[in-house]
Amino acid sequence: MDKRIVYKNDDGTISIIVPANCGLTIEEIAAKDVPEGKEYHIVDVSEIPTDRIFRNAWTWE
Amino acid sequence: MSTVKTKNVQVGTDGTASNNFTIYVPGTPDGTVRIGNGDAGAVTDAVTINSSGAVTLANALTVTGNISTSGTIPAAQLTGTLPAIDGSSLTNLPQPAALTTASGSAPSYSARAWVNFNGTGTVAIRGSGNVTSITDHGTGDYTINFSTAMVDANYSVVGAAGKTSINLISLDTPAGSYTQTISEVRVTTPYVNGTLTDATQVNVAIFG
Repeated sequence: MDKRIVYKNDDGTISIIVPANCGLTIEEIAAKDVPEGKEYHIVDVSEIPTDRIFRNAWTWE
Repeated sequence: MSTVKTKNVQVGTDGTASNNFTIYVPGTPDGTVRIGNGDAGAVTDAVTINSSGAVTLANALTVTGNISTSGTIPAAQLTGTLPAIDGSSLTNLPQPAALTTASGSAPSYSARAWVNFNGTGTVAIRGSGNVTSITDHGTGDYTINFSTAMVDANYSVVGAAGKTSINLISLDTPAGSYTQTISEVRVTTPYVNGTLTDATQVNVAIFG
């Protein structure tokens, strides 16, 4: 699946949900796996940097 | 009391033979009695009963009620194709004590969930079972989200992580920081010194 789900944590860091090939849509996975109350964004995988050296410093604007 | 003896009894007097039935014994008696469709002397057999009481039908048996038996149906009599049966209709089936590939008497258990993913570059799942997604929280820090929840949170997490050119990576469940739940488990991939790192191969299986 070429989509990812991004949500911001309370400390400002971001978590990125990588969907499995499980038969659910990306929206269904977001509804199930994003922590309750968190705002999330569905993005193309191409929008996620592949250089992870500073992964812990990533933020979402 | 008198006894009526005859070889043919036609039931029905309709002008159309197929509307009548005949009960008869063959011209050369063979210990059977036949019930057939048609007028006496021109019958198409439908049911044959032999001297032992065995019944042979010329066509399919249609049952609108239940079938009950005090004995067993010999497997040798089930030579045709059995109909598809909803498994929920089958009861009293024995629980398998071991996987078919297991030897010895110790019970065997299969994984309740598994996942193989790449934690570097574009993080992606290569293969999985009973997993809807993984959540990338940061360097070497992931949550595995189950499709169907575990029975309880006391399941066992096993796995391995590896990285090209560096072999000293472990798979850890950070119990001090997180509590595994029935619906997810958090795993990390640290070096032996505890520093988290991304691994190219992260393999996790859940037993419980």
